[in-house]
Amino acid sequence: MTNQKKMPKTSDAEKENKIFDLTKLRLSQDFSETAGVKKVILTIPTRKPGRQDFFRVHLSDDYYLETAVLELKEERETYLIDPDLWHELPGEIIPKALFTTINRQGVLTIWPVRLPGPDGRHDSWNRSALEAAQMAKKNWIRMAANMSLGAYEIYKAVAELPEPEWPDMTFQKIIEIAFKDNFIRRPDHPVIRQLRGEL
Amino acid sequence: MKQSTLSQFKEIWFVDFEFSSPPGGRSVPICLVALEMKTGKTLRTWQDDLQYMTEPPYSIGPDSLFAAYYASAEMSCHLTLRWPMPENVLDLFVEFRNLTNGRQTPCGNSLLGALAWFGFKSIDASEKDGMRDLAIRGGPFTWDEKIALLNYCESDVQALHGLFLQMAPFIDMPRALLRGRYMKSLAKIEHNGIPIDTKILNQFRKNWGVIQENLIKKINNEYGIFDGLTFKRTFFENWLKKTRIPWPRLESGALDLKDDTFREMARTFPEVAPLRELRVSLSQMRLSKLAVGKDGRNRCLLSAFSARTGRNQPSNSQFIFGPAVWLRGVIKPNSGFALAYLDWSQQEFGIAAALSEDNLMIEAYLSGDPYLEFGKQAGIVPSHATKDSHRAQREQFKACVLAVQYGMGAESLAQRLGQPVIYARELLQLHRSTYKKFWEWSDAAVDHAMLYGKLWTVFGWTIHIGKNPNPRSLRNFPMQANGAEMLRIACCYATERGIKVCAPIHDAILIEAPLEELHSKVAAAQEAMSDASDTVLDGFKLRTDVKIIRYPDRYMDRRGVKMWETVWDIVERIANG
Repeated sequence: MTNQKKMPKTSDAEKENKIFDLTKLRLSQDFSETAGVKKVILTIPTRKPGRQDFFRVHLSDDYYLETAVLELKEERETYLIDPDLWHELPGEIIPKALFTTINRQGVLTIWPVRLPGPDGRHDSWNRSALEAAQMAKKNWIRMAANMSLGAYEIYKAVAELPEPEWPDMTFQKIIEIAFKDNFIRRPDHPVIRQLRGEL
Repeated sequence: MKQSTLSQFKEIWFVDFEFSSPPGGRSVPICLVALEMKTGKTLRTWQDDLQYMTEPPYSIGPDSLFAAYYASAEMSCHLTLRWPMPENVLDLFVEFRNLTNGRQTPCGNSLLGALAWFGFKSIDASEKDGMRDLAIRGGPFTWDEKIALLNYCESDVQALHGLFLQMAPFIDMPRALLRGRYMKSLAKIEHNGIPIDTKILNQFRKNWGVIQENLIKKINNEYGIFDGLTFKRTFFENWLKKTRIPWPRLESGALDLKDDTFREMARTFPEVAPLRELRVSLSQMRLSKLAVGKDGRNRCLLSAFSARTGRNQPSNSQFIFGPAVWLRGVIKPNSGFALAYLDWSQQEFGIAAALSEDNLMIEAYLSGDPYLEFGKQAGIVPSHATKDSHRAQREQFKACVLAVQYGMGAESLAQRLGQPVIYARELLQLHRSTYKKFWEWSDAAVDHAMLYGKLWTVFGWTIHIGKNPNPRSLRNFPMQANGAEMLRIACCYATERGIKVCAPIHDAILIEAPLEELHSKVAAAQEAMSDASDTVLDGFKLRTDVKIIRYPDRYMDRRGVKMWETVWDIVERIANG
């Protein structure tokens, strides 16, 4: 298993006693052969990275989506809306980019960042967040809001940290888990009815 | 055990000796009963005949199986009688421990307890105690006493036979014989014992009361935590505040005053070490109980396979390598001899690296300084960093590596480092991300244990998961228990190669040699230890460190030096009136 050379045993008794051929008595210590355990991800938060979290954004465009979401500020909830319903919610839905992120603790999240409006205008918070997302594709960074600056400040890890280990999951699956209770596909969804004043 | 495994033996002998064993002395056989399973032949021999026999009255060759309960006792009788040892030893005590390790054994691990486990009743426990007391009392024996002892011995042999029949389906024979081989080796080690400076020990014993009083006075002048002879928590709390030492607390908020905590804290805060030594000396040390024979050697039952990890667990008060490290200063080679203390370097790290086959961890071990190498591999220090250039960081990496080995969390590590918890958490995270393969392997071991209810070592020492499994100790089991395997195999190799081993101690052995043979014996012992690591780790050899103590020097553990000097100072003052 290593470059170390095996030394011959010196005792005659050891050589003669075949019952003690210890190499044949070794039991495997690789318990993964039998343990057969795989982490199952059932929760994927939808939020921006915490101010203390160093994180990475998935480099592949396959793990990125530009879409429209509905944000209920008071409930701090984000809903994904079926494109067929966008017309039902004028002025409520917001165009957002959904980035797939992972922090140093291996926690997978979906990070929604507001995209510029049709006029191309973008506030400094969201502009700095998009820049951070681009940077996080190749660097471990953390970002913290600076109120007087009116934007996020980005801190890049100086140490040579290892690349993130992304779970073996499709983006489709990630989105399904992240929005499993927060996907609006029907016009009579309680959230839409509430916004219409029907509830 | 398959019938075919048993059929390889032409004879299967169940053997029991009754013997007396004065504290610290060697076993003196009183009588022997042996029963051969296939023929039913029974041998009953009294000590008058035993002493004239040059070999045992039963077959001990490669075609025979010798079965006993705690076989090192029978083997020590062989050594006293100068009989050769059996080729194949099956110790049903060891196999019962292996079968039930981690499980509740309501009646204990004695022969009676093992029989009770299988639902059998042997002789009455009180009758057994009475017979044992009679054997310990020693001769001369009346005719009736002789018959009673022989009958009792025979009843044990029959019980042993009955137990064997019950246990046979559970015995993994080739590995059981490997454990039996260790019991032979252990008998030789117990037979040798550890040389003690009895003159000094007797001085300590004679003046122990006065020494204790003076020790408290002396230590208290510096620490102010005793009121008379009583350790005061409030005073200790004040001292901690003054010295700004962050002491661990129990859930209740009270200070954690367990010895393990003192030992752990003494590693981080050296000023705690004398306190810990004093507390151990006052609470646990009974100098009169230290088992030293008339020949000036410390001998006691090393209690093989008693710990869950399979390690020895000798009595703290009888064994010189008990918790009071300063007292080890009474270990002294005889004139013309030397002792050598050999231990594996970073044994647990090496085991973890080899068994998990984590290449970065293996590289770190092979670098000679796994702690600094971890820092380099994690990218915290540059590749040209040395022990001298990055001393402080190395200490932190060391603490982190050890914390992982002890299963310590971020809070405890932070306490040890004197750093915020977030820093300790990041350090532990770096360990996880650097040694990914090790962590996968370690996680799988815990998962396996929790799924299937047991874990085992490379040679089959098994831990069964009880009702309240402790994931931390399960995670540590492969390192600790394979470390125990390694020590047992090293003891076998060393004793079989003619090295005089005085004691096995956790990850070390103490050997003795005439001064003129010291060099070759130390080299041979190192080779035995290296071969043992090779055997357990499938070709990976661990390094060893050696500390030599030549007559007239004495053994000294650096953790006990200050206490030894303090005690010695008191003894001299007493001697000078």
